[in-house]
Parts: sequence; structure tokens; C-alpha cells
Amino acid sequence: MTAFLEKKGVLAVLLAAAGALMAFVSLRPFPGNGGSLLLAFLFFIGVVEGCIAAAAAGATVNARWVGSVRKELLSVTPLLLVASFLLLLLIPFVDSYPWAGRPGIWLRKDFFIGRNLAFLLLAYVTARRFAAAPADGGGTKVRAAWYLLVFVVSQSLTAFDLVMSLEYPWVSALLGGYFFIEALYGGFAVSALLYLLLHGRPPAGNAPGTRSDLSDLSILMFGFSLMWAGLFFAQFLTIWYGNIPEEVGFIARRVSASPLRELCVAVLFLLFFIPFPALLATRAKSNPYVVSAAALSILSGILVERYVFLAPVVRFSPGALAIDFACLLVLFVAVVYKARVFR
Amino acid sequence: MGNAERYAKADRDILAAMEKPGRAYLAGLAFTATLTVIGGILWIYQIRNGLGVAGYTHPVNWAIYITNFVFWVGIAHSGTLISAVLYLFRARYRTSFNRAAEAMTVFALMVAGLFPLIHLGRSWVFYYLLPYPNQRQLWVNFRSPLIWDVFAVGTYFTVSLVFFYVGMIPDFAIARRCKEGIRKRFYQVLSLGWKGTEREWRHYGMLYLFLAAFATPLVASVHSVVSWDFAMSVVPGWHTTIFAPYFVAGAIFSGTAMVITLVIPLRKAMNLHEYITDDHFESIAKIMLFTSLIVSYAYIVEFGLAWYGGNVFETGAFRYRALGDFRYLTWAMIFCNSLVPLSLFVKRLRRNTTCLLVVSLLVNVGMWLERFVIIVASLAHDYDPYVWGTYSPTYVEVGISLGSFGMFFTLYLLFVKNLPVLSITEIKEHL
Repeated sequence: MTAFLEKKGVLAVLLAAAGALMAFVSLRPFPGNGGSLLLAFLFFIGVVEGCIAAAAAGATVNARWVGSVRKELLSVTPLLLVASFLLLLLIPFVDSYPWAGRPGIWLRKDFFIGRNLAFLLLAYVTARRFAAAPADGGGTKVRAAWYLLVFVVSQSLTAFDLVMSLEYPWVSALLGGYFFIEALYGGFAVSALLYLLLHGRPPAGNAPGTRSDLSDLSILMFGFSLMWAGLFFAQFLTIWYGNIPEEVGFIARRVSASPLRELCVAVLFLLFFIPFPALLATRAKSNPYVVSAAALSILSGILVERYVFLAPVVRFSPGALAIDFACLLVLFVAVVYKARVFR
Repeated sequence: MGNAERYAKADRDILAAMEKPGRAYLAGLAFTATLTVIGGILWIYQIRNGLGVAGYTHPVNWAIYITNFVFWVGIAHSGTLISAVLYLFRARYRTSFNRAAEAMTVFALMVAGLFPLIHLGRSWVFYYLLPYPNQRQLWVNFRSPLIWDVFAVGTYFTVSLVFFYVGMIPDFAIARRCKEGIRKRFYQVLSLGWKGTEREWRHYGMLYLFLAAFATPLVASVHSVVSWDFAMSVVPGWHTTIFAPYFVAGAIFSGTAMVITLVIPLRKAMNLHEYITDDHFESIAKIMLFTSLIVSYAYIVEFGLAWYGGNVFETGAFRYRALGDFRYLTWAMIFCNSLVPLSLFVKRLRRNTTCLLVVSLLVNVGMWLERFVIIVASLAHDYDPYVWGTYSPTYVEVGISLGSFGMFFTLYLLFVKNLPVLSITEIKEHL
């Protein structure tokens, strides 16, 4: 695989091939293809932007652990271009949004796609500028801050436009913040997994690449599990307590029937009730098995949650879903592997 | 200079702040105490004459008193948060601010706790809020966010007080050694017989870490509960899911501003430039800038989604906020909280204490206005045009509010002359 990836232009060919396959699958007029692509896009964009945001957040506060995985985390930057392409593939699907065809300023198809695309491309540009800066250079923090700013807007738009407007006029002001915090949470989970893949079972000590770095990452995941739970509670308690029909319907549609009800509970477990107790003990924070289990739980939780958000209003095609996820996974692994080998 | 000499110098410098007060201090204390007394007299006047002396008119029955409650709870919340979070993150500049921040928390909570009582009118029936055992089996409404407030703020006050006190025990032992007479006995009692043995330090470290770890999520949860006093109701402009994190960020923002407001004059008056440096101010200014961005994000999202959702009541409430009777306050709030802090992107301004003091004062004003606008403007303009109204405060409300500031600063001035204003033992760790 190393020799294959070493060849010039292989990555570009891989990107083009994956893009072409996903375009072929998505543009076929079968019901569920668009929904599958949307789910893949939502998960993928959260993880990719979250990885870069984790590196950027670490850079702004001089976090020591970033040095161990910085290159791999930033290697996913080109995938933001793939995400932009996926957004373009979603254009036909936008017609199935409930507001489509009605007059409006904000919810108008061209502006809808245009602003999301603009911020994805801006995220790519700012991420590239951040990735190009030396890890300990003078302007790195400024570039990281710029990326984080664009990341917040981009994730908020993803939440408000691609998810919330699916159930227009349902409104939750917290959804944007919920999405970017969750993306960052996912970014830390990927960082922990990459760290373990790169360093295996790290030795004890305080030098870079030691158990202390893994412990710092675990503390971040632990802290974010609490923060995620707080946001989850704040969002859904307010909606449930208010009991306004147009708001509470969002929860009712998801908890009133199987299997979504069970999946809702699974989300809670995967994103809070598993990582929180697992990472509570000091020793567990530097145990590779516990940390990798917690990180996988977090990533699965994000995926299941995105599914739960879409499921009541969007149709999925299992075949298209499998192809989309397989393509994106291959691309993700390829760019990270290449960055690792040619470190 | 050897370690022993440096440590002795730190003891002398920090404890020197507790020496005999000067004229400026006494004048300041007299002024703040007078404000407190005026506030107290006006409260008695309100109790004698009833809530009619306040400017409450239908539909605005929550106004300045609740604004003050939320404002002071917000100030209180960031004190422990700054201290506890920076401790958990091992930030070295924490030592310059933690004691001031913790003291601020305790005093602000004491002031905040008075406002629900003042707002009650018949303050003596405050025990209705408590779930006390009684013969008629009458319980408080546990589903009311106001009751959640009682539990949340009560727990937070207890933890903050313990956190504040525990952090000072080793410093009390130093003060006990350095002071004479009745003050020596005072610190002897407070230091709980601290000897500074290895075992004591180990237990102290564990307890302090535990309290810091416990206080951090508690802060977020408590201010979330305060935000739910509003968000759980279905009043347009109040019922929004973003309120909890928005209020938490706002609390850290206003509290950071208040810490800067308190510590800049403290550094100058007590000549503590060696221990509270411009680097430290720059670091805390970054926190203020960061939280300002979060608060600005919340403003944009709130206004944006009111327009996006197209709900006539929600849109109407936000249009009223921006263009109605309280428009000047709304725009002043945006100016103070979102625009002025942007100046802190410039490194030179972050390191300039005069600029920082001006920004922090404006943020304090802006955050008070934010709470006022949220509370009053939303109530004045809810669903039914028939009951729309407006509100203007009376001299009783203004006087009681100024009295609350007087009380806070009186307590703070008493603190700086009677307790160590910086954590001596932690400063020694970094010498």
C-alpha cells in the first residue's frame, strides 16, 4: 500500500474515482439515494472538520498532545474539497426539503447551496493555511483561530440548513452549537484513535508520544462527554418542558416508535453513558483499550445520532449508504495513511 | 536572592496589603457602605409600603430585581469557574486572579441571594421556597425552575464558600505567623491548626483538586438552571434552547470582566506588579475575548432564528427588542458586549491595563443591560397586543440596585484588608 500511495497523483486519482462512484450512485433516480448521501455527508463533514478543529484548538492553547498527531489530523484537509463535491451532488435532493418551491430569502435553493458551499471552501482555504504553517511558528495561532471561526459557522450552517430545515418550521437555536461541539468531540475521538495507531502502547513519562499525551486526550474526551450531555439536556429539556406542538413533535416523532426510540437511547449511551464512566478513573485515561473503546463509542454515537435526526423525514437506500460510507472511509484512511508513512 | 529570601519577600509583599488602611481606602469604604445603607433603607421602605413603590406594572412584573439577581449570579459563577478551570488546566496565571475571583463569587452570591427576597415583596415568607417538612403535606412545586434555582444556587454557594476557604488555609497559617495580637488569634482559628506537614499538603491537594473538579460542572449546571427560569416558559424571546450555554458563556464573560475591574485597581493600590503582571492580564483578556465571541454568536443565532422561523410572536419580540422602547439599551448592549471586546484582538490593547479596565467596565454595563433587555423587553411585548406595556424603574428600585453594588464593593474592600488577596503558597510555587 505504501508503494502504491507513494506514486505521484495516486491520491488525486483515488479522490476522483471515489467521487465518480458516489456521483454515479447518488444521481441515479432511486428513492433513498439522496438521503443516504446526506447522512454520509453529515457524518463525514463533522469528522473531517472536527479533526482539523481539534488540531487548531490544541494549537491555540499550546496543547502538547497535538504534536503527536498534528500531521495526520491536518492530512484530511483535501477531504473538505470532497465534501464540497458531495454538497453539489445533493442539489437534486434539496427539492425534497419542505420549503422547496416556496418564496423566501434565506431558504432559497441557490442561496442555500451557495452559502454552504462557500463556507466549505472557506474552511478548506483556512485549513490549508493552518496546515501550511509550522507547528511552532508565530502566525500558527492566528491561522488556527481563523479556521476555528470558519468551522463554527460552517458546522452551524450544516445544522441549521441541512438538518433543521428538513423539518421547517421546527426551530432549535442550540442545534448549531450542538453540531460544532459534537464535531470537536468527534475530532478528539479520532485524535485518540490516531494516537494509538501511531504510537501503539505508549511508554510512561512526560515526553511527546508518551502516556501523558494519551491521558490529556482522554481528559478532553471526558470533559466533552460532560459538555455534550449538558447541551443534549439543555436542548431537549427545553423543548419537552415547553411542550409547544410545533417544537415537541421533533422529539415525539423519534421516541414514540421502535427502532428510533431504542436508537435515541443508544445515542445517550454511546456519547455519554459509555465514555463518561469509562474515562472517569485516572488509570483508565492512559489505558489504550479503554481509550479506543471510548473513542469508537463516540464516533458510533455521532453516526447513530445523525441517522436519528434524519430518519423520520428522509428515506435511505442501504446499498447507496454502504457505497458512500465505503468510499469516504477509503479516502479518509488513504490520506491519513499517506501522511503517516511520509511523516 | 535565595529561595528563603524570595519566599519571605512574597510573604511580606502580599501581607503588606493587609496593613493599616490609607485615606483613599477609608473614603472608598465609606462611600460603598453609604450606598449599602441607602439600599437597605429603601428595602425597608418597600417592605413597609409594599411592592407598589417599585415600577412593576402589568405585564412587566419581573424587572430590575430579577435583572440584578441574574447579573450577580452571573458574576458569581465565573469566579469559581475561572479559579477551578484554570487550576484543572494548570494555568500559571491563575495565581494572580484566583483569590479575587473566589472572593468575588462568594460576595456576589450573597448579594444575588437577596434579590429574590426583595422581589418577593413579603420577604418574610421566603421559606415557602424551601421544601421543609410540614404538617399539611404542602410541598413546593418541584417542577418549577424557580425551585431548581433554590437548590442550584444553594449548592453552589456552599461549594464556592468551601473552595474559597480551603484555598486560604495555608495562607492563614502564614498570616498567623506574621501578625500579632487579636489578628494573630483570628488567623489561628481560621488556619485550623495547619502545620504544613507532608500529610497535610497531600490531603489538601486532593481536596482542592476534588473541589475544583466538582465546582466546574456545577457552575455550568447552575447557570443553566438560572437560564431555565426564562427558557422553560413560553414567552417569546425567552423560550429558546440556546439559553443555557448562552447564559453560561455570558456568566464567564461578565465575571471575567468583573475580575479585571477588581484586580487592576488592586494591583495598583497594593503595589503587586511583581505578582500580577501584564502577561497575566493578557491571558485573562483572551478569555474575555473568547467568551465575547460566544455571546455574540448567541445574539446572531437568536435574532437570525427568530426571523428564520417566521413565528409572528417570536419575530415581533425580537423586532421590538431592536426597534422598540428599549432599542437604545439593546444597541448599547451589542456595542458593549460584541463590538468593544473586539479591540482585544490587538495584542497591545490586551496588555494595556487602562484599555482593559475601560473594556471590562463597558462589558459589565453591557451584561447588565443584556439581562435587563431579555427580561423586560420580552415581558413588555408578548402575545396579545391588548396587554402590551412598558416599564420604567422607580427611585426605590434604582436605590436598591445601587445598594447591591455598594454591598458587593464593601465586602470586597473588607476582604482585601483582612484576608490574603493573593494565594501566597501558590505564588511561592512559581517563584
